[in-house]
Amino acid sequence: MSFLAGTVLLAVTISLACALPGVFVVLRKSSMLVDAIGHAVLPGIVLGFFFTRDLDSPLLVIGAALAGLVVVLGSEWLGRTGLLTGDAPQGLIFPALFSVGVILITLDFADVHLDTHAVLVGDLNLAAFVPVTVGGVSIGPAYLYLMVGVLVLNAVFLTAFYAPLKITTFDAAFAATLGIRTGLLNAAFMLLVSLTVTASFNGAGAILVVALMIVPPATAALVSRRLPVMITVTVVIAVVGALAGFWLAYVLDAATSAGMAVFLGLVFVAVFAVTRLTRRRRIRSLDTAPGAPAIPRNRPVGRR
Amino acid sequence: MTPLEFFANHTYRMVFFGTMTIGLVAGALGTFAYLRKQSLISDVVSHAALPGTLLAFLGAVVVLGADGRNMLGLIVGAVVVGTIAALFANGVARTSKIRIDTAMAVALTIFFGAGMLLLRVVADGSFPGKGGIQDYLFGNASVITVADLATSIAVGAIALLLMIVFWKEFALRTFDPDHAAVLGFSARTIDTLMFTTIVIATVIGVKAVGLVLMVAFVVTPPAAARQWTRTLRGMVVLSAAIGAVGSGLGAYLSVALGSIPTGPLIVLTLFAIFVFSLVFSPRRSIVMRAIGRSRARAELKRDLDREAAVR
Repeated sequence: MSFLAGTVLLAVTISLACALPGVFVVLRKSSMLVDAIGHAVLPGIVLGFFFTRDLDSPLLVIGAALAGLVVVLGSEWLGRTGLLTGDAPQGLIFPALFSVGVILITLDFADVHLDTHAVLVGDLNLAAFVPVTVGGVSIGPAYLYLMVGVLVLNAVFLTAFYAPLKITTFDAAFAATLGIRTGLLNAAFMLLVSLTVTASFNGAGAILVVALMIVPPATAALVSRRLPVMITVTVVIAVVGALAGFWLAYVLDAATSAGMAVFLGLVFVAVFAVTRLTRRRRIRSLDTAPGAPAIPRNRPVGRR
Repeated sequence: MTPLEFFANHTYRMVFFGTMTIGLVAGALGTFAYLRKQSLISDVVSHAALPGTLLAFLGAVVVLGADGRNMLGLIVGAVVVGTIAALFANGVARTSKIRIDTAMAVALTIFFGAGMLLLRVVADGSFPGKGGIQDYLFGNASVITVADLATSIAVGAIALLLMIVFWKEFALRTFDPDHAAVLGFSARTIDTLMFTTIVIATVIGVKAVGLVLMVAFVVTPPAAARQWTRTLRGMVVLSAAIGAVGSGLGAYLSVALGSIPTGPLIVLTLFAIFVFSLVFSPRRSIVMRAIGRSRARAELKRDLDREAAVR
């Protein structure tokens, strides 16, 4: 497989692996939690590297994902104490963990040579650099197989737990009366999210992974009212976004993830503008349609 | 290192007073973000400050042919773009079924992604004075100049002045938005003003602390202060004090311990103050509450046992 083909495939895989769980993250109002997880995994990655000496090791990914779970469970616990309001709990924990990670890196702990720049935006091309060769033939970057694994894991989990996830997302109290262990399911789901974020860290970095996970489902939410439709639209946007973003970054010679984030953002803004315009037009056409109930407007009724 | 040696050094003095100013302003104005339950808006703003700063830099160098490193110009650019990002997030949440957390995440990544593309443009081009513009990602407290400090103090003072002048409106809008609307205060105007002050508080720290950690300066002091006080005035004053003292202490420690970056150490200092507040505050201490709860439980059990014995 050529380097370019491998990298493009990697971009699409990361995009899909993030966007799938992202659908439920958006619906469960945990979008900013992804941002928090993205930063909190940094100390986990540094510590994990200390033990594994390999940034692509699955062990490292799992270890760092547990660090991401600290933010999820920690902020839930802080919120439950009733001493803090709003979204403050996660805003308290993740900068502290990120600080620990930055300090560990600057102290050269574990000799982890993470470029601080790459921590934030990742480097897809570098991540795709180590190829897997079978019988002397390159079959794509090693990192691609890690991400394919994460994608398959996400797809399997979401398919297996589709029904309970759906019920807990839309009506947690009802789910609890049905006997669904909502707390456990939530923890398992957030661990999966954390795992995905950690695995994508190499390619997309701490911040732009949020774009891959949140923006496609958010765009899909604007145009859909049913969960299957939302998932389908999300998948389409994720694939198109990966390809177009890759091209944009290629032209500008910038980080691939930044290109993808900007392109996905433009799609969101465009869809948002179109849905607003059509809604306004629909209200206006209702207003003028014959036999429509009179909606009071600031103009004389007789001129209709 | 003794404090005397510390203050004799110009760079250390600048780091100390620079971060203290940031902590003070962010602590005071972060109170309103905290009480509006939108602390993370400062995270959106700090990330949007990156494209704002870069646009201001490019504008100054390419269009005006001026010095691109002018702190005031960079702050103005960051404040304008940061405010746009904050209003965009709130606008999306208000006019569509997208909720505020998702709207904030979308705004954050769009603006940050654009910032990273712009950073590439700046890094590739030959612009005079582009060195150090990367400091905005992780912050570099050791490059605070006297002019930077003066600018942050002036801009921070403007934000604090706005807060004092519009104190009544801010408080009313924060605690009872409906009542504020009934009394005829324009929600949109007050919100824009309030978010602008929060944006200013966030933006003046980005260069020294970095855009990732700035959120801690806005969230942590109010969260700690809230454990000790019940009045808005007390909370703003205490939060500002915690922000200033924590920042000064963290800056001192980072120099005294050597080779530990200032921003992260300040964040950890602030976090330590927060944990201390959570555990030891007289009224809301989690330890005291746990003891009280177990005591009440034991008492109830005793009562029930006694009742059972009587029967």
